Amino acid sequence: MPALLARERIVAKPGFNRWLVPPAALAIHLSIGMAYGFSVFWLPLSRAVGVTQPIPCPDSMGFLARMFASQCDWKISTLGWMYTLFFVFLGSSAAVFGRWLEHAGPRKAGVVAAFCWGGGFLLSALGVHLHQIWLLWLGSGIIGGCGLGLGYISPVSTLIKWFPDRRGMATGMAIMGFGGGAMIGAPLADILMKHYATAASVGVKETFLTMGAIYFVAMLAGAFGYRVPPPDWKPAGWVPPVKQGSMITSRHVHVDRAWRTPQFWLLWGVLCLNVSAGIGVIGMASPMIQEVFGGRLIELPGIPFTQLGEAQKAQLATVGAAFAALLSLFNIAGRIGWASLSDVIGRKRTYLIFFALGGALYALVPTAGQGGNVTLFVAIFCLILTMYGGGFATIPAYLADIFGTQFVGAIHGRLLTAWSAAGVLGPVLVNYIREFQIDRGVPAAQAYNVTMYVLVALLVVGFFCNLALRPVAERHYMSEDELSSERGLVAAASRA
Amino acid sequence: MTDEMPPETGGSGQWGVVALAWVLVGVPLLWGVWNTLLKAAALFR
Repeated sequence: MPALLARERIVAKPGFNRWLVPPAALAIHLSIGMAYGFSVFWLPLSRAVGVTQPIPCPDSMGFLARMFASQCDWKISTLGWMYTLFFVFLGSSAAVFGRWLEHAGPRKAGVVAAFCWGGGFLLSALGVHLHQIWLLWLGSGIIGGCGLGLGYISPVSTLIKWFPDRRGMATGMAIMGFGGGAMIGAPLADILMKHYATAASVGVKETFLTMGAIYFVAMLAGAFGYRVPPPDWKPAGWVPPVKQGSMITSRHVHVDRAWRTPQFWLLWGVLCLNVSAGIGVIGMASPMIQEVFGGRLIELPGIPFTQLGEAQKAQLATVGAAFAALLSLFNIAGRIGWASLSDVIGRKRTYLIFFALGGALYALVPTAGQGGNVTLFVAIFCLILTMYGGGFATIPAYLADIFGTQFVGAIHGRLLTAWSAAGVLGPVLVNYIREFQIDRGVPAAQAYNVTMYVLVALLVVGFFCNLALRPVAERHYMSEDELSSERGLVAAASRA
Repeated sequence: MTDEMPPETGGSGQWGVVALAWVLVGVPLLWGVWNTLLKAAALFR
């Protein structure tokens, strides 16, 4: 009998309903999606020692000493490194372990992801208990980051094989979960921290323990819910479209060959540029609406942001947070919406819309700001965010169209390094341009305009990368012998 | 087209299990969306 986690063990039996696979994938993606919501812990953790007030470390204390200091509080900027670790390790682990996943199967990958993500929370709880920041970086950032990468790609290949007729919708559902995870996790963490807080503790340690256990169970449930279809399974009555010169291939490119094709690097550019522009705009959205519209947002028209008092700025910050919340809703709506639409209009056209319409909308933001039209401004950002989310959700189906389904999980894993790169490029670009403008005396509200035009330039480059995509050259496809041999290896690995 | 395994391999559907699985992931997601909507409402006050 095959081992409990083996791929061979989870080949669907007659009567299995393929609509059970998306909720299993969602259970994993909703859990790991909490990575986006980690900032909810920063403020309480920044006073973990002082509880009511942060106890700052002495200025003379060096970086290394601060890493091991247990008598003074962590800065928010120190805690913020967790985000960098998350996205660097997400991309790296997806790239490194993607090939293994194709052989080991989604259940084994999902279980490993559950141990990494849930275990990362437990190690972080120990880090809070001992007040050692390096334990948090190691636990949630590095080990948890590997769980993110494995969990993120674990259902992709399986969903695409179950839904060859609706690839975009199927992967869109799972990836929507990653966008929605923080919507559940952040308010839950807030409730738990309030529940566990005492006069001597901010309650983060207990919250980490509780959430780690919840995510571990949810992810295990998801992993054990995965089933793979029998080889060459198709939905009854569905005939694969055969069209000469089509962008959808019925053949397969090996992962080790895929990344040497121009198509891989064009898609890498497509993802990286779409995400860089999106990350840039997300980072700017909340401060931008406050600084551009100032008093107009709190019924004090005509009073610019710089002339508002502290209480009024606090009111504006609430509006900024509300704007960010609204954007997160459009982000997840775009994931399922655009990915599903791509099944109808095609992946290439979908990305052409992202880059052309997106570019036009980014360019319109300064005009909407100068015109003082808050509704138009908000509507533009909401639409932009749908395309940011849609870019993530549509890319696995695009890869399956171009490279076939045999290695799509592994190829997707390697492509996710584009996300890691965008995670650095987007914020760096936006922050440097903004600082450069402000240093030259440009008013804060106007400093955003140049940044928006630079983001438009990124989208123009992305437009041409997407436009240049053609089917893979004949020589890159696997031969029938290679495919049979690979499928034999998968069967052997799954029995191991 | 059917969403179940092809009839020649047998199978009855499991739609009750499908509904339960969707409720298990759908309820937390809707709770999260509701919370976010409440927060976003401040923009329109």
